[in-house]
Amino acid sequence: MTATTTPQGVGAIRAHALRRTFGEVVAVAEVDLDIPAGAVFGLLGPDGAGKSTLIRMLATVLRPDSGTAEVFGHSVTAERDQVTPRIGYMSQRFSMYPDLSVMENLEFFATVRGVGRADRRTRAKALLESMGLDEFTTRQAQFLSGGMKQKLMLATTLMHEPDLLLLDEPTTGVDPVSRREFWRILAGLHREGRTVLVATPYMDEAERCTQVAFLDRGRIQRSGSPDEIKAQVPGQLLEVSLPEPRAAMAVLADVPGVTSVHLLGDVVRVLWDADADPEAALTGALAAAGRSGRVREVAPDMETVFAYLAEASGAADEEQAS
Amino acid sequence: MRSALVRIGAIVRKEFRHLARDPRMLLAVVITPVIQLLLFAYAISFDVENVPTIVIDLDQTQTSRTYVERYEASTFFDVVAHGGTMAQVDAAFDANSARVAVVIPAGFARTLASGEAAQVAVLIDGSEPTAAKVSQAYSVALNQLYSQQLTRQWADQQGLDLSSLGTLEPRIRTWYNPERKSSDFLIPGLMVVILAIVTVQQTAVTLVRERDQGTQEQLEVSPMRQIELMIGKLLPWTLIAFADMALITGLGRSIFGVPLRGDFWTLALGSALFVFASLGMGLVISAIAPSLDTANILAMLIAFLPAFLLSGFAFALDQIPVFLQWVSYLFPARFMVTISRGVFLKGAGFMELWPELAALTVYALVMLVISSVLYGRRSAR
Repeated sequence: MTATTTPQGVGAIRAHALRRTFGEVVAVAEVDLDIPAGAVFGLLGPDGAGKSTLIRMLATVLRPDSGTAEVFGHSVTAERDQVTPRIGYMSQRFSMYPDLSVMENLEFFATVRGVGRADRRTRAKALLESMGLDEFTTRQAQFLSGGMKQKLMLATTLMHEPDLLLLDEPTTGVDPVSRREFWRILAGLHREGRTVLVATPYMDEAERCTQVAFLDRGRIQRSGSPDEIKAQVPGQLLEVSLPEPRAAMAVLADVPGVTSVHLLGDVVRVLWDADADPEAALTGALAAAGRSGRVREVAPDMETVFAYLAEASGAADEEQAS
Repeated sequence: MRSALVRIGAIVRKEFRHLARDPRMLLAVVITPVIQLLLFAYAISFDVENVPTIVIDLDQTQTSRTYVERYEASTFFDVVAHGGTMAQVDAAFDANSARVAVVIPAGFARTLASGEAAQVAVLIDGSEPTAAKVSQAYSVALNQLYSQQLTRQWADQQGLDLSSLGTLEPRIRTWYNPERKSSDFLIPGLMVVILAIVTVQQTAVTLVRERDQGTQEQLEVSPMRQIELMIGKLLPWTLIAFADMALITGLGRSIFGVPLRGDFWTLALGSALFVFASLGMGLVISAIAPSLDTANILAMLIAFLPAFLLSGFAFALDQIPVFLQWVSYLFPARFMVTISRGVFLKGAGFMELWPELAALTVYALVMLVISSVLYGRRSAR
């Protein structure tokens, strides 16, 4: 079964009211998902949002308390045997045998997955070459760098040519160069027609996805294409450059029309939602506080969008609670 | 079916690779048995020899001196002092210069000459029980031999035909191990202890490690069944346990001259059942242990200590408290020690040892059921 036989537009993942608790903690609460085949679906959210729990349920290694989930039309609970051959699951932590070499790990998992000897050889060669691991085939997995470890895990999950990849924070703890490299490989898989569900705490990675969902406290708060998500943020995004930006944040937050204030490096990012001219209002308020700064409009990035959305949903919860 | 065998083969190959990569593990399964064997057989010898002995000869006759020569000639007793009063016995015991005192009363020769039973007091320092027990047995045996000889002499003097009386055998005799070599006794038992260590400890750890490394989850998303994983894990250790068994048997025979009198295949069957029962225990530990350390300690508690203490290896089972005798039935080692000693020393085979083999079979099955129930519960997540 190859990726290309899966028609585009057919659901790769369909989940309805998926729920899982650990004791008192609700890890995933009534999650609905509809991921078309061929998508690169980004599951975003802070640590503890429930990303891993959700992925592990879809990977059949964790049983949902309630709700249903189907992978290519097969239930992850009742039809595990139909699901597992078509998925490649990469867990958050390094889960290869540290004392076995790169090639031995690849060989072992592929054999267990039922990949024949000839296929194992050709695929291992091709995957290791494309990932730049071909020089390290005899190195024990424990002596690989962080980025190489992740690539080895990805290569392992690709050996049986799955149609759906479930990747749980594959780039966490990996250096920026390796992260880019990793996403280059994912883009290649996307072009081959494979479906990718990738969890990440890095908002900048959301830009590379065809669709994203923002998970917080076990619930999907937003979902859609990156552009759709950006459109959900009302107003325009402004960047204010000034000395002592941290101290100036309070001043900017009090300006009428400002809905959100964030520090990004040494600039302050302000979300403006009013008809008035934001530049005049902001410089005016700063001048009144004895400060001066330069204001310019910037295109909203996912980081800011999610920071705003998280803040908004947090505020909504507080309102509900009170 | 074929693909299941391929998967099991992959696990077996992988397990051997782990073993080859981990010097400590290799040490534990190959070198440890050899070291333990040598250590136990040479250093911790239960052999009793050259027991310091004081002789108080109150008779001072030719007969009594001949009797004392018996003690002096024995490698077992080492006559370190001769004395004339009982007070010297106390002094020698207190100073630890003697552990056995032989007191020949006045009139010894006269009593014997009149054809009556003469009394000889043998006093034994009981502060070292093994030596005391063996010394007692030996002095009794020595007296038996001596009296037998006297009987012969007497019979000759009386012109009686001894053959009509039948040969007189000393009544105290150690069967199956006539020289009372402790290595004969130790090595068959030691084999059981070593098999227990290798199997329980390693399987207990190997499954927990799989979980710790997260590789268990990768195996779960493969078509591999739990039972295939189990078989794949058990096979290498079964082979290794057999290799250890062969190693100990070989070393025991070549270096220590331990006899293998019985049916080897009964021993092999017993070992296989014992290994499976022990691996079952290992799996139970794996199913309940949350971490590697816990698994190690549990394996130590559940496998090693009972195999050592409650199997008859170190202490005779009829000499431990009744409560512990009952506890010993909870562990498979006691059955295996019986089988091993039976085959090695008594020349026993299947006919004699089937109750123990049956017990091990039941034990192995119960363990596998318990472990798969526990493991299944865990896998239900």
